[in-house]
Amino acid sequence: MTAFNNISIRNKLVLMQVFTSALVLGIFATFYIITEIQNYKNRKAKDVQSIAAVVAQNSASSLQFQDNQAAQATLAELHAVSPDVVYSAILDQDHHVFASVGRAGSDTALFREYRNSVGAFFSAGTLIVVRTISNNTDKIGSIYLQVRLNELARMRSYLFRLAMVLSGIAVLAAFLISFVLQTYISSRLLALVRTMRRVGDTGDYTLTLADEGTDEISVLISVFNSLLLQIRENERRKDEFIGVASHELKTPLTNVKGYLEILRSMEERNPQRQLVDRAFLNAGKLEKLIEDLLDVTKIQTGQMQLNLTEFDFDELVSETIASAQMLSKDRPIVFEAKAARQVRADRQRIEQVLANLLSNAVKYSTDGKPIVVTAVATGGDIIVEVADQGEGVPAGEENAIFGRFYRAKGVSQHISGFGLGLYICRDIIQRHRGRIWVRNREDGASFLFQLPIAGPDFKQQHSSTKSSM
Amino acid sequence: MKKVLVVDDDTDILELVKLALTMNGLEVSVLSRWERIDDTIREFMPGLILLDISLGTADGREICRKLKAAEATKDIPVILFSANIEFQKGIDQYQAEGFIAKPFELRKLVETVRASAR
Repeated sequence: MTAFNNISIRNKLVLMQVFTSALVLGIFATFYIITEIQNYKNRKAKDVQSIAAVVAQNSASSLQFQDNQAAQATLAELHAVSPDVVYSAILDQDHHVFASVGRAGSDTALFREYRNSVGAFFSAGTLIVVRTISNNTDKIGSIYLQVRLNELARMRSYLFRLAMVLSGIAVLAAFLISFVLQTYISSRLLALVRTMRRVGDTGDYTLTLADEGTDEISVLISVFNSLLLQIRENERRKDEFIGVASHELKTPLTNVKGYLEILRSMEERNPQRQLVDRAFLNAGKLEKLIEDLLDVTKIQTGQMQLNLTEFDFDELVSETIASAQMLSKDRPIVFEAKAARQVRADRQRIEQVLANLLSNAVKYSTDGKPIVVTAVATGGDIIVEVADQGEGVPAGEENAIFGRFYRAKGVSQHISGFGLGLYICRDIIQRHRGRIWVRNREDGASFLFQLPIAGPDFKQQHSSTKSSM
Repeated sequence: MKKVLVVDDDTDILELVKLALTMNGLEVSVLSRWERIDDTIREFMPGLILLDISLGTADGREICRKLKAAEATKDIPVILFSANIEFQKGIDQYQAEGFIAKPFELRKLVETVRASAR
């Protein structure tokens, strides 16, 4: 069944049609051949029976008067007139042969079998007719005629060939007609598939398919169109939700952070000051989580857009390192090699990527060991490396860590977050037509990303990775 | 003393911003109902307007555009702020002097306001 499943629908339909017409033609031809042969046999039996009647009449007196020579002459005459009679015999009352004429091809076994019967019988291309000879009312003997049906074999092969040729022509015609028809049907199906695939690849739900018919394929197309309409409606609602959610979640957070900031500026005493600092730090974490969730929603709904500007890359790295350093004073971050380039990119988003990689490096590094950042310009790209001295990425998970909601196995509970950071980083970098990856070194892990200096719109699209997920 | 008018439909934010700016030596007036913005400007004569974008029944960006189109108010600097950072894109066409994303750091907010206020 799998093999049949793998045949295209068009070929299946063609196959079905051809098979059906061949079957119908076969049944019809068989019926026709059988009828023709039956008619021929009936006709022949009737002919031979009337010959037998004439012979019976002519030989009645010969039999009555035991005139063997006259009977023999009658039979000889019969053979002269009807060349396909191969054996004839006149039998007396006790079924003994009274007179007989045989020709090559006569079958004595058939004679023995049918000599005592009365009527017309067919046996393997031979017709046997046995008829009673009577003198007015008394049965005085019988006539036995054995006829070779030479025509039957000829007729059979003729009819068979005719049926084959006609069937061949008809099947060919059926094939051609169905091929044209199915090409039309499958071309509409394939058009639908092409559109579906494009919608799947591009996420463009405005692609609809025009079709004016009312058949099943048209129904399929209109169902597809209305599905797209529904998706568009859902997308719109989701977009609205993102707007509302950003506002609703961030407004109270703004207040919390703001009042804590004021409180901090007013409070010099410890431990009050420390407690406020801690609350402020956590408000910041909450803010980061909300941003991550909103970013993921934006990525999923295709609303993540880049705000491209030209800026000094080293300056951005230095600033980001400075703010990351403020959060972890015991893990020094070193900016080792500089790119010395102006880059065209979304500054805020690239900062987000760097901040994320730095925060990961800080989280997974051992206290006191430095985190080394390098930015190198090669060709048309900048390659940034953030090298920590932690435990590295588990083997085989180098790709999975960029997935949504990824949590490293065996990592202690104190490392928090949704596991969205790297997923967002990858999306941002891919949107810039860049690449992000991880490499394990002997003494830790290195996160690297490559960014086209001239911006994503300048570089031709050759990235094999897809940005939408 | 530089005068700042803050417009937002969230009164907590208004209180917060007022507190922070006042502590930093600015004179602040707050407005939770944007409909009264013209009257307030006439009376208070601010040197800067801090204007929220999502005002419930109105879009702060449109209000900014109107202020910039009117002779009496076109020279008052306007800084828009919003929780939706997507609004930052294309903010130039509304002729605002700046954009601040919520949640903001008060320190940065004060710096920006000080630098822009007349």
